[in-house]
Amino acid sequence: MPLFGKSQKGPAEVVKALKEAVNGLEKGDKKAEKAQEDVSKNLVLIKNMLYGTSESEPQTDIIVAQLAQELYNSNLLLLLIQNLNRIDFEGKKDVAQVFNNILRRQIGTRSPTVEYICTKPEILCTLMSGYEHQEIALNCGTMLRECARYEALAKIMLYSEDFYNFFRYVEVSTFDIASDAFSTFKELLTRHKMLCAEFLELNYDKVFNHYQRLLNSENYVTRRQSLKLLGELLLDRHNFTVMTRYISNPDNLKLMMNMLKERSRNIQFEAFHVFKVFVANPNKPKPILDILLRNQEKLVEFLMKFHTDRCEDEQFNDEKAYLIRQIKELKPLPGH
Amino acid sequence: MSNLDINLNDYKIISTLGQCFEGKAIVSLAKHVPTNTMVAVKKFIMDMIKDNALVDFEIILMRQLLHPNILPYFTSFVNGPNVYVVSPLMAYGSCQDLLNQHFNEGLCEQAIVIILRDLLDALNYIHKKGYIHRAIRASHVLVSSTGKACLTGFRYACPIVCNGKWQKTIHSFPSSTKANLNWLSPELLEQNLLGYNEKSDIYSVGMVICELANGSEPFAGMSSTLMLTEKVRGCTPQLLDYTTVPRDINGDCSGGDGDISLKIINRRFSDNIHEMAAQCLNREPFYRPSAEQLLKHSLFKTIKNSLPLTDLLKPAIPLSDRVAFNKEDIENLDTFNYFANLQINTCEWDF
Repeated sequence: MPLFGKSQKGPAEVVKALKEAVNGLEKGDKKAEKAQEDVSKNLVLIKNMLYGTSESEPQTDIIVAQLAQELYNSNLLLLLIQNLNRIDFEGKKDVAQVFNNILRRQIGTRSPTVEYICTKPEILCTLMSGYEHQEIALNCGTMLRECARYEALAKIMLYSEDFYNFFRYVEVSTFDIASDAFSTFKELLTRHKMLCAEFLELNYDKVFNHYQRLLNSENYVTRRQSLKLLGELLLDRHNFTVMTRYISNPDNLKLMMNMLKERSRNIQFEAFHVFKVFVANPNKPKPILDILLRNQEKLVEFLMKFHTDRCEDEQFNDEKAYLIRQIKELKPLPGH
Repeated sequence: MSNLDINLNDYKIISTLGQCFEGKAIVSLAKHVPTNTMVAVKKFIMDMIKDNALVDFEIILMRQLLHPNILPYFTSFVNGPNVYVVSPLMAYGSCQDLLNQHFNEGLCEQAIVIILRDLLDALNYIHKKGYIHRAIRASHVLVSSTGKACLTGFRYACPIVCNGKWQKTIHSFPSSTKANLNWLSPELLEQNLLGYNEKSDIYSVGMVICELANGSEPFAGMSSTLMLTEKVRGCTPQLLDYTTVPRDINGDCSGGDGDISLKIINRRFSDNIHEMAAQCLNREPFYRPSAEQLLKHSLFKTIKNSLPLTDLLKPAIPLSDRVAFNKEDIENLDTFNYFANLQINTCEWDF
């Protein structure tokens, strides 16, 4: 026993103590208070093992490995996330920091925590449903984005039915939560290109039905962010099949033409970047071509006056000039 | 006050308090009608903001900080093309407002010490939680009607934890930080391979001590290049008083531009506060004390015998709904915004 200061608890003891304390959170008043204290204390101990403090370095790999093993065996990660709303303000953030650190653990090229979570997908579902609860939404968000960095975990989330809840979360009335949810949503749809492209192709109708609602949202920020993301998705070459499908639908073209005329300049600008894909398509389906032809003169006139003050944005001006030329040269398909 | 009031109609705007975010956000004094509470409403005009990530970042970060000396907010919501953030009213405004309006030659030492303790408390908290503020300056320290100082300005902050690790040094440079350059540490400004850490904020605290004492920050009005050269050379700014303003043999002040007032020449700050400013402004980050260490400084022992901050700030008076407002300003701004957003599109598509 050291004479000065407390003896250091080993990983097994801390994990055990934390688990007991978390279980105690559900109990009656007096006990819950004590449990709350113990939860906070032990979370800090675990956090300090992983990150170190201003006075001490993080623990050695062996200790961290033991700690991780204890966390897996005890199922504590899931338990913590399930009880996140009962843990105090700073404790919630400590859970997220512990989780995010353990998640990144590597043995050679293996990520043992990722493998572990693959066998416990309820961890991911619980995290996603965290957006339903104000007081834990942002904590769950940081953990979700950390999970989304791993293709295996992103795949589970994308293909779960819970993914479609994001279309609701990104539009909730509190701005901080909506905007956090949007960044997780975007991460899931863009991080792993091949995975995302395949997901979008396989679930095209369902995803874009939902997506349409975001583009028509009453909420300016939702409309602007989703429009911007749509542009990014369509212009990513991995999503070629999805893009081709999107730009064959005349309803999508109509929506973009209307958004070009929105009052907000930012929305006009983002709509331009989707609209250009319809025009640049060398194989326009007849319904698309018909709409463009019917509005040929108006579109040329409109684009000539469109955002003329962006003189320093060379790429935009080149693209605009290209579109004007393309639209001017449009001709009906032979035989019609 | 209900913490979830997201209906703009429940807020009655009374007057404009100021602008921020390069004029892309407007702070107004408002009354939350259902509860009759005075609040500050910050309106971000999103259509003027190209990258909304900065707005998101600040709002999300502030939601994850909980400390009596950090400005909280009640709620944030979208209405029309604007994002609104509703915070408690800080009735004395920012420390910079106080300097500009009432204390051109600086605050008295007691006031500085009280503000400083609150600032260091906030800073100790955010450093422990793994953030560097990167924009510590008097305009980001607000004072409440009860005389409590609160830190704000988190748009420029950065996390110390990155890639699952606590980083020993940071190398990123805060974006759109031009207005804060005078307060930033030499190592942050140098942008070299050595990087910087949370001690960079401590340097800025030193600058704030000088700013509060002298009425304006050191290097004010100097070109950025000269300011950087001076800092890198190790020039340590000082609190101007009897001991630091040089005099010639006749006792006349010959320092600076020769326009230093008698009040400054004759005043005397304590050795303690001179010493603390010098410690914070040490060229070497390693030798600067941490926020936690600074809080233990004997300087703060004087607070318990001191007058409350609200008395020390007289003649400044806290804002309330009775204080004269400038309705015209709001109307002008609103008209301006109306025209700025107006893009006339008369054409109708033919589908």
